[in-house]
Amino acid sequence: MAALVESIYKGITYRGAEGQWAWILHRASGLGIALFLYMHIVSIFVAAIGPGPYAWVHATLYTSPPAKVLEVFLLFGVLYHAANGMRIIIIDFFPTLGKYQRTIVRIELVLVAVVLVPAAIITLHSLF
Amino acid sequence: MTVTTGRAARVKTRYGAPNHEGRIWLFMRLSGLVMFVTVVFHLLYMHMVVRVENITFENIDARWSGPAGLFWRLFDASLLFIGMAHGMNGVRFSINDYVHNRFLNLMLTGIVYGIGGLLILAGSLAIIFGVGGLGRLIGMG
Repeated sequence: MAALVESIYKGITYRGAEGQWAWILHRASGLGIALFLYMHIVSIFVAAIGPGPYAWVHATLYTSPPAKVLEVFLLFGVLYHAANGMRIIIIDFFPTLGKYQRTIVRIELVLVAVVLVPAAIITLHSLF
Repeated sequence: MTVTTGRAARVKTRYGAPNHEGRIWLFMRLSGLVMFVTVVFHLLYMHMVVRVENITFENIDARWSGPAGLFWRLFDASLLFIGMAHGMNGVRFSINDYVHNRFLNLMLTGIVYGIGGLLILAGSLAIIFGVGGLGRLIGMG
């Protein structure tokens, strides 16, 4: 617990720039996706039980207005985790590219935004 | 001489020699590469092409029981197994980073892996028996 508090404090105050924020976002999005994955598997298991129980899950956990807002976080989380994971793989296997890692973080954020913005508009369209 | 055992063991350790954590490191990269294609496809296909509003009971049944049903079930099984293995490992990394009490660490990791194991079982049963399949098997739903 003390380690967690210290880690959060250092995470905010340590001036590690792009690499540090990329790491924090990677961890946060990874834990978020794992949490969603738990819910996602349970929902498919409910569908295996029958159409009645699944209809409730579909209406509440997937298509309700709060769920549509959380869906945008999921889209960002998965797209970012995928893009940043590719950066990690590229730098791990081609260490000489490590000197460009800050540039790669910026490129990856632009790529995520290019996919995320239209996806978020399509997702939230039904709310307005 | 027995006193040199520790030193001898250290000398024998080759830099870059494969070990358990090294293989896990490689697994995280390889599974990440695979899921860069499969999970991003799954996400964009389900959310942008199929649309979440249309992922109804009938829609899942049509995909899993249709002409390409075996493909979709194997595809979804790959998401389940690779995703859960990669995800559980990531949670374990996080626990190891923050929880340094050995007992608490073991407890938390055990809980995460226990729930993970049950979910892999639940997901596998759903994929094998299909939507509504478990309900028919136990006589409900």
